Amino acid sequence: MAKKNTVPSTLLNGLITENPTFTLMLGMCPTLGVTTAAMNGIGMGLATTFVLVCSNLFISLLRNIIPDKVRIPSYIIVIASFVTMVDLFMQAFLPDLRSALGSYIPLIVVNCIIFARAESFAAKNPPLLSLADGLGMGIGFTISITLLAAIRELFGTGTIFGAQVMPESYQPMGIMTQVPGGFITLGLMMILANAARKSIQKRRAARKEAAA
Amino acid sequence: MLKNLAITSSPHVRSSATTRRIMQDVCIALAPAGIASIVFFGGSAAMIIAISVITCVLTEFLYQKLMGSKITVSDWSAVVTGLLLAYNIPASAPLWIPVVGGVFAILIVKQLFGGIGSNFMNPALAARVMLFVSWSGIMTAYPNTRFMVDEGMDAISGATPLAGLAKAFAGTGAETASIGNLLLGNVPGVLGETCKIALLLGGAYLIVRQVIDWRIPACMIGTVAVLYLIFGGFNFELTVKELLSGGLILGAFFMATDYATSPQTPLGRIIFAVGCGLILFVIRFGEKTYPEGCSFAILFMNVCTPLIDRWTAPKYFGEVKKHG
Amino acid sequence: MSTFLVIVIGQILVNNYVMCQFYGICPFLGVSKRVDTALGMGMAVTFVITIASFVTRLLQFALDALSLQYLQTIVFILVIAVLVQVVESALKKLSPSLYQALGVYLPLITTNCVVLAVAQKNISTGYGLLESTLCGFCAALGFTLALVLLAGIRERMEESEMPTWMKGFPGALIMSGLMAMAFMGFNGLI
Repeated sequence: MAKKNTVPSTLLNGLITENPTFTLMLGMCPTLGVTTAAMNGIGMGLATTFVLVCSNLFISLLRNIIPDKVRIPSYIIVIASFVTMVDLFMQAFLPDLRSALGSYIPLIVVNCIIFARAESFAAKNPPLLSLADGLGMGIGFTISITLLAAIRELFGTGTIFGAQVMPESYQPMGIMTQVPGGFITLGLMMILANAARKSIQKRRAARKEAAA
Repeated sequence: MLKNLAITSSPHVRSSATTRRIMQDVCIALAPAGIASIVFFGGSAAMIIAISVITCVLTEFLYQKLMGSKITVSDWSAVVTGLLLAYNIPASAPLWIPVVGGVFAILIVKQLFGGIGSNFMNPALAARVMLFVSWSGIMTAYPNTRFMVDEGMDAISGATPLAGLAKAFAGTGAETASIGNLLLGNVPGVLGETCKIALLLGGAYLIVRQVIDWRIPACMIGTVAVLYLIFGGFNFELTVKELLSGGLILGAFFMATDYATSPQTPLGRIIFAVGCGLILFVIRFGEKTYPEGCSFAILFMNVCTPLIDRWTAPKYFGEVKKHG
Repeated sequence: MSTFLVIVIGQILVNNYVMCQFYGICPFLGVSKRVDTALGMGMAVTFVITIASFVTRLLQFALDALSLQYLQTIVFILVIAVLVQVVESALKKLSPSLYQALGVYLPLITTNCVVLAVAQKNISTGYGLLESTLCGFCAALGFTLALVLLAGIRERMEESEMPTWMKGFPGALIMSGLMAMAFMGFNGLI
């Protein structure tokens, strides 16, 4: 696709067109692992966004200095440093959320979204654009995993963000907050997302045809 | 390289006339157990069976209508799924349980993968495990049979014969159901698992009609028997009771023999059945969470089936290896 | 049961990293289209994880001695990255066809979170050197098992009448969910 990169278009790109969860299918482990409750989804999403924005900015600033041969180890060090910062910050100020997210926080370091954006975007684009890309991707990721988490929490415990939503008589569907529920819910969401994308494309094509 | 070998999707269930004949045979074979469950558990058992079958058939019909694909409810396969699902639910369960289970079985496990013959997991079993994991309280509240209430026992015991047997094997309690009661089905349990005579009758009918391969039930039950004899110190009475308890007979004859989800080759079927028996034994004998492992064992072997098929398929000589 | 048996059964079946804990999902979904490739990937991962578990456990002794525990993540991930490079160049020389098949995914073992997750779990559970290595090896076997099983199912599904919108990731996810249900049976084994 030959389109010019502007800050708003880059932002939007991460949010919708190249949504990391539903289009790029990146970062699946935290997407499935922490989404048992909506709050965890937001926490994980924001932590990832922070790392993504910082590492994108940093790598973009250093893109002309880092020799091509050692770029992967360099990226790893940059990313791992920011992850360690987030981890220590959460341990100090948000211990409950940190323990709910468990080892997925240190594992942000191997989240392929961050790597993929560093390699495919930040290494080739100026700082401001890279920052926008990190922000867009991060928020796109946060929104999708929070949505998934909310659905799983709703059926699995009858609550959303801890507030009772389902009627009292609702018997929570335990499997939703367990591993199989995560896989199946994401699979079904992906089917819907694909269907939605296809119908949008079809409509756009039809409009283009009508215009021509 | 396996493309030219028609082992991957059961070709013999392709033509709907034979499918219908097979499925009707399975329904006939399942009927005695259903009647027995109504005798033992009363009207609630009949309700669960009816709701389960209706849900499965309706889900299949609506899905195919919605998708604009060929409507295949007349092949009776949804009826079989509905019956099997109902047989895996205790009579005390509320009626939304078979509804949720039926929709899950038909929609998620069967139709999403392309419908009959394409699913890789037994729909009724997968639905049972889903219900069991989600609402284990409901799914393990086994009511006593009507004839047991007459003897003045609690209406809900919650314990299948398996729990007593596990204790007997460990030497910490000897009270187990008698073999006669186990055969008749006069024990607490889910609908279809209890009356073993009815199930054996149905199983024998299917073998005689050549609907199912005798190897699968024989190897599965045989494996469990041998393992219990070895690890139980050759206690024949307890071993026979173990075989007659829980879902083993129902699973071995009616679930493990499902065409689409079990291997196609004779050797593959033996491996499959021995694997089922082994896992069932391990879960029953070594588990702390679940007393019964029949459903999990068959599901796990369902997952292994494509690989078993792949590695037991007859090899052609002079075959050209394709790189892909 | 002895500790070793608990580790073996626990890592392969009960706490299978993919099927019970959601680690390593990206390669699990990405490299499970064909059984042959899945086996190759599984072997590569097994090799890397086993060595990585050993090396990271050794390094932790040094980190403990210097009280630099907070550097754990950075040090571990660097070691893993180097190891992957070594495996990659070794494979390129020894088995070009396998190297071609694994293609883009080989460098991505670095970002296979099972590697790092096992390394960190070894430390937090307090395993020694031998236990850590065994734990890593078995975790990798568990990963390979799940990967190959899914590949078998997906290969079969290629030829079935699965609707087109189920092909690819959505279908693989739902298959994985059903597989995970089968794995739940082992929950209470240890």
